[in-house]
Amino acid sequence: MSLSIQPYSAEQPVNPYLDVDLYDPDADLMVLNLGPQHPSTHGVFRVKLILDGEVIVKAIGYPGYLHRGVEKLCEKLNYSNIKAIIDKNDYISPMINEQAVNMAFEKLAGVEVPRRALWLRSLLAEFQRIASHLIALGTFGLDVGGALGGGASAFMYCFRDREMILDVFEELSGCRFHYNTHCVGGNRHDVPAGWDRMVLPALEVIEARLDELVDMMVNNQVFVDRTQGVGVIPKNLALGLGLTGPNGRASGIDCDLRRDAPYNAYGEVEVRPAVRSAGDCQARFLCRVDEIRESARLARLFLAGLPEGPISGTKPNKGPTSVKIKEGRCYVGLSTPRGELGTYLIAGGNKGLSPYRLKIRPPSLHHLASIPYILPGNNLSDAIAILGSLDPVMGEADR
Amino acid sequence: MKYFLDAIRAMLVTLKNFFRPVETVRFPFEKRERGERYRSSFALVHDEHGEEACIACKLCERICPSEIITVVGGEKKLSEATGKKRQYVGDFTLDLNACIYCELCVQVCPVDAIVMCRVPEVPGFFREDLVLTMDKLYANEAAANEPTWANATKLWEMQDPKRGLVEAEPDEPAPEPAASETPSTEPAT
Repeated sequence: MSLSIQPYSAEQPVNPYLDVDLYDPDADLMVLNLGPQHPSTHGVFRVKLILDGEVIVKAIGYPGYLHRGVEKLCEKLNYSNIKAIIDKNDYISPMINEQAVNMAFEKLAGVEVPRRALWLRSLLAEFQRIASHLIALGTFGLDVGGALGGGASAFMYCFRDREMILDVFEELSGCRFHYNTHCVGGNRHDVPAGWDRMVLPALEVIEARLDELVDMMVNNQVFVDRTQGVGVIPKNLALGLGLTGPNGRASGIDCDLRRDAPYNAYGEVEVRPAVRSAGDCQARFLCRVDEIRESARLARLFLAGLPEGPISGTKPNKGPTSVKIKEGRCYVGLSTPRGELGTYLIAGGNKGLSPYRLKIRPPSLHHLASIPYILPGNNLSDAIAILGSLDPVMGEADR
Repeated sequence: MKYFLDAIRAMLVTLKNFFRPVETVRFPFEKRERGERYRSSFALVHDEHGEEACIACKLCERICPSEIITVVGGEKKLSEATGKKRQYVGDFTLDLNACIYCELCVQVCPVDAIVMCRVPEVPGFFREDLVLTMDKLYANEAAANEPTWANATKLWEMQDPKRGLVEAEPDEPAPEPAASETPSTEPAT
């Protein structure tokens, strides 16, 4: 009996439920635990790898090491408190998490958000997207690169450039992580005077240095060898697993909620998401590079067209019980740097002060679901590159 | 050969970055400039009459997502400056160990008593050092020595839904405010 494990393809799909005893009656296989504390898993994610020599035969992912019970905690906290702790959900892009829960609350409360707040939210979301993708690119360099491919250098350069975005946020809201700059009905902090004089040079510098990064990594033959054709997710598998965001678009799923179901101010501008068809690690990386450029273009548009007016549609929050939602349920989806972040809210807990249930659909969890399909057939070293190219954030996958 | 040339090109980028200005600071010895809105440690302030502004309404205690603020109501007595009866705070403790600096306590304070400082808190060697007692909070007011940007009044002005609009019509009757949530500065006797 001869079974051979090949990388996933549409013609010969990998069986994620492979019976290891059947594959190897002599039990020569090696079991290797990757994680949960391994730095390449981008958080605390454990993958149990079953290896035949250096080739992965079977991969089983075990999420849940960073489970903090956020959804249960939200059932206890008031509406005005939830948006302060929800930052920690996806800790690479906190700004967009706040927007997600706020949009759900506003939809049920029937609050009209002023136009300036909508544009400001879109602007902040695009900045956060740039910062988040810079982390993804930098850490991916660390995963594949080593010394030659520019690995550790690219990591440092990306974090240096991301600092400029964090400085912009610090200037606006006063914090680098727990911004808490949104409230139900609008924003809490208005743009300070002279903010654009700080923002525009930052965008220019980031775009210029992105070209250097591309020159250093994408055009590098070592990088191409490590990423091209590795970890291919075909379109049908991506559709079946519900991949969204850059990972889905790299597999040819032309879907972006900013364009297809516009929220905030995205209906008033043209969004051109980057789509590729290869579905391998290189395509996912290049999708993120293109998205940074697209986000910088959008951010300039939003900054130039920022309308005048109030930033909040409701009276300021003057107490823990200022937001009351008696009943109703709604789903709000928006596009984070990783994919579609869904928030399903059932109101009515604690006399209308807390949600009865707040369910979050994290895009990272769906991306991690592809691991049993795409890891088998690859070498162990490629497993690190594939995990890095998926750019999971365990904070939101485990919640 | 291709690998070699690509490595050289990557090294050229590294060389270019080698001559760029250093963007880090030697932290404990130099400190980088903080923005005007930078928020860090906390302080309790005195009002314009020189009295402690806090009236122990416990709104900050109730809105804090981490539940780190503990307020104990003090005595109610006639204010020496204004002659009105008001409440004073008995004890105020803020545990910075779990603080997430969300600024919600500043946002809801009806008398602008609690503000955030631009000076980062001093790291301590013991967990007890990070618990801000009332003495430390009032000492922070003096030590900050620079205007803190945000207090509740300024935040409410910024979030006013009518800000920047032309006021064509007189004030329409506001929707029923949550009267019980905003205790007045003079509690009923």
